[in-house]
Amino acid sequence: MSDPQPVQTDHASVSRRRFLKIAGGGVAGSSLLTMLEARQAPAQIRGTTLRILQWSHFIPAYDAWYDKFAKEWGDKNGVKVRVDHIPHLEIPARMAAEFAAGSGHDIIYNGSSILTRLYYKNLVDLSDVADAAGKKYGGWIPSARTLVEVEGRFYGLPLFYILLPMLYRKDLFDANNLKAPDTWELARVAARTLKPKGHPTGIQLSQCADANLNWRSLFFSFGGQEADASGENILIDSKELREALRFSKALFDEGMTAEVFSWDDASDNRFLASGVGCWIHDAISAYRTTEDTNPPVFKNTVIALEPQGPGGKRVSVAAPNVWMVWKFSKNQQAAKEFLAHLIDNDIEGMNQSRGYNMPYLNDRYQKPMPVIGTDPKMQILQDFPKIVAFYGHPGPSTTPIQEVVNTFVFPDIFTKVARGESIDAAVKWGVGEYRRIYAKHKRP
Amino acid sequence: MSEGQHSGGPDAVGARAAAVSVVSSTRPSGWFRSQTSRRLAFGYLLLAPAVLYVLLLVGAPFLFSIYLALSDANVGDPVASFVGLENFRAALESDVFYIALRNSILFTVVAAIFKGLLGTTLAFLLLQPFRGKKLIRGLVVIPFTLPITISVLSWKWMYDSQFSVINWFLSRLGLIGSYGSPDWPIWLGEPYLALSACIIVNVWRTFPFSAIVLLAGFTSVPNEILDAARVDGTSFFQRFRYVVVPMIAPILLIGFLFDTVFTLSDLSIVYLLTQGGPANATKILPVLAYQIGIQAGALGRGAAIALFLFPLLLPLMILMLRNLKRRED
Repeated sequence: MSDPQPVQTDHASVSRRRFLKIAGGGVAGSSLLTMLEARQAPAQIRGTTLRILQWSHFIPAYDAWYDKFAKEWGDKNGVKVRVDHIPHLEIPARMAAEFAAGSGHDIIYNGSSILTRLYYKNLVDLSDVADAAGKKYGGWIPSARTLVEVEGRFYGLPLFYILLPMLYRKDLFDANNLKAPDTWELARVAARTLKPKGHPTGIQLSQCADANLNWRSLFFSFGGQEADASGENILIDSKELREALRFSKALFDEGMTAEVFSWDDASDNRFLASGVGCWIHDAISAYRTTEDTNPPVFKNTVIALEPQGPGGKRVSVAAPNVWMVWKFSKNQQAAKEFLAHLIDNDIEGMNQSRGYNMPYLNDRYQKPMPVIGTDPKMQILQDFPKIVAFYGHPGPSTTPIQEVVNTFVFPDIFTKVARGESIDAAVKWGVGEYRRIYAKHKRP
Repeated sequence: MSEGQHSGGPDAVGARAAAVSVVSSTRPSGWFRSQTSRRLAFGYLLLAPAVLYVLLLVGAPFLFSIYLALSDANVGDPVASFVGLENFRAALESDVFYIALRNSILFTVVAAIFKGLLGTTLAFLLLQPFRGKKLIRGLVVIPFTLPITISVLSWKWMYDSQFSVINWFLSRLGLIGSYGSPDWPIWLGEPYLALSACIIVNVWRTFPFSAIVLLAGFTSVPNEILDAARVDGTSFFQRFRYVVVPMIAPILLIGFLFDTVFTLSDLSIVYLLTQGGPANATKILPVLAYQIGIQAGALGRGAAIALFLFPLLLPLMILMLRNLKRRED
């Protein structure tokens, strides 16, 4: 074994400017890491302004808390914080406008449509903040990286995701000797049994976010995959997709009504709250809506784990939410400080959102979790992080996937089959659309 | 007095000549000399703000959208390279594009027919003398003046698959069954019904505009001419067809042109009601362009799809403007 050799350095090549640059960068980097560790904002950010573009949360109390939280952080650190709320569907347009203008907010929120890969060259590398948070809270759940990681760097900070579990009427199931919908097959049997009794089920077969999420959950639980780990190659053309489509056609014919073709993201909430639906696959906003509007139905509504597919697999596709910082921001340091503070307090965010916001950090899943850990009917949600996935599963959230999502290609394949088109024709159309979109993004 | 004094002498002559040359140098030169040309220049000066406005706010964005359509621009990359007609080819390769094109034309034509019929009827009704006429005239323009988001979201509730007030009303009248019955209309769920639902909202929102335009035209027709036509024994429809319409044709054409442009480029109604679903049954070109250009970030392809509206509108505009010009001549 040879002895380690001293590293040869070319002293002559280190100029004074280069020395100062490296030393300065090292000092700035280490001071930021130290401050992140100690959670103490640097004096330089005092007197600055931080502008945040945020969505309007489905739980208004969360927005009230967030605004107050941001203001308190600003007051404490001498930073004037301004938070603007807009509907999440308007975020991509606003982001495009701000990028084109080269000015706007410092921190920008992405929900559902995660545009990290589209903008990463113009976003601040948040790896230092993400690494510090990961180190502190037991690491990130695996799917978190698929949203924001590009070339090994975090260009966004995942803060929470929104689960879409199974919500079913236990009273109706019990009265008809039906087993809990632990598998998609059991869910179908329940729908088939209860539809003739005036209690159909429903999953959106329209162009809305929930349709994108729900049908992917079913497909992935059937063993399907959307793209490979590189995100470059499409994998949907598979026997699993055909199997999922055959199943969905039967589920629609036996257990749903045509109204699912017209549904938006809130229709299934109302469907459950009205007492008609026997089960839905939706965010817990449906559970909360029912709690607020129809207490007898709420009393009998149970939340269940993602149903298993035929191979016993469970994959739950969730709606992701991440925060990013523009490179043109003149207040990047304050932005990073604020985001680090925000992630330290994500549990409070979970409280304020009534259990809606699910964290991406492993240590946050220590039971009992806030809100969902104390409500017996919601405790099952604590078991979701292992099965959570996002668009493009198992691949990352790439730019072509975002186009596929925004043009609703995936749910449209299911809609076509439900409307009577043959599985082969629908798959041919859908795969063709995927290939066309991917090819366009690959063109030099 | 010597001649030199009389005439002012050689110095005075020189001074006069200098004065003359000074005056002549301050005079407008070339075509600007005549009164007509100065009036013309003044006219151009008055027109300049409007021309600048059109060039900056219409011409520049239009040229920019052509530039985008010929490039691989995306929202996250400021550097775009020239790709020729690639984006147009990409649009033509997509089935969804043809559905959107067909729907855009259908949407515009059907909506225009209904707006024409309802607008004309309403305008005639508003011409009649009745109590509270001013109040009614004010009320009918409410759909047009309401923020589009609010009115479309109200319609969305009215079209709700479960709680539709329209269905409730029809059910109460015994025209359809109750919720869950096969004849319960799913307004935004059935392809043709969904497209019709979007057209209904567009018609509801903009036919008062048509009515107001027509009303302005009708009131400009002198009563003497109508009376003369009556004396000649013409019927109501003959007076309308052969007297009123030719007289108000310029107003009708301009109104129709505006309405066509607004309808063809309207994104909000379809986007808010269906986002183009179910399965692209209500997809129109502006919605597709927005989804691809802004939401998915492919600016070049989005611009190319949006530009397909231009050849649709151009022949129509040329025809109408030529017709207007002929009438003026």
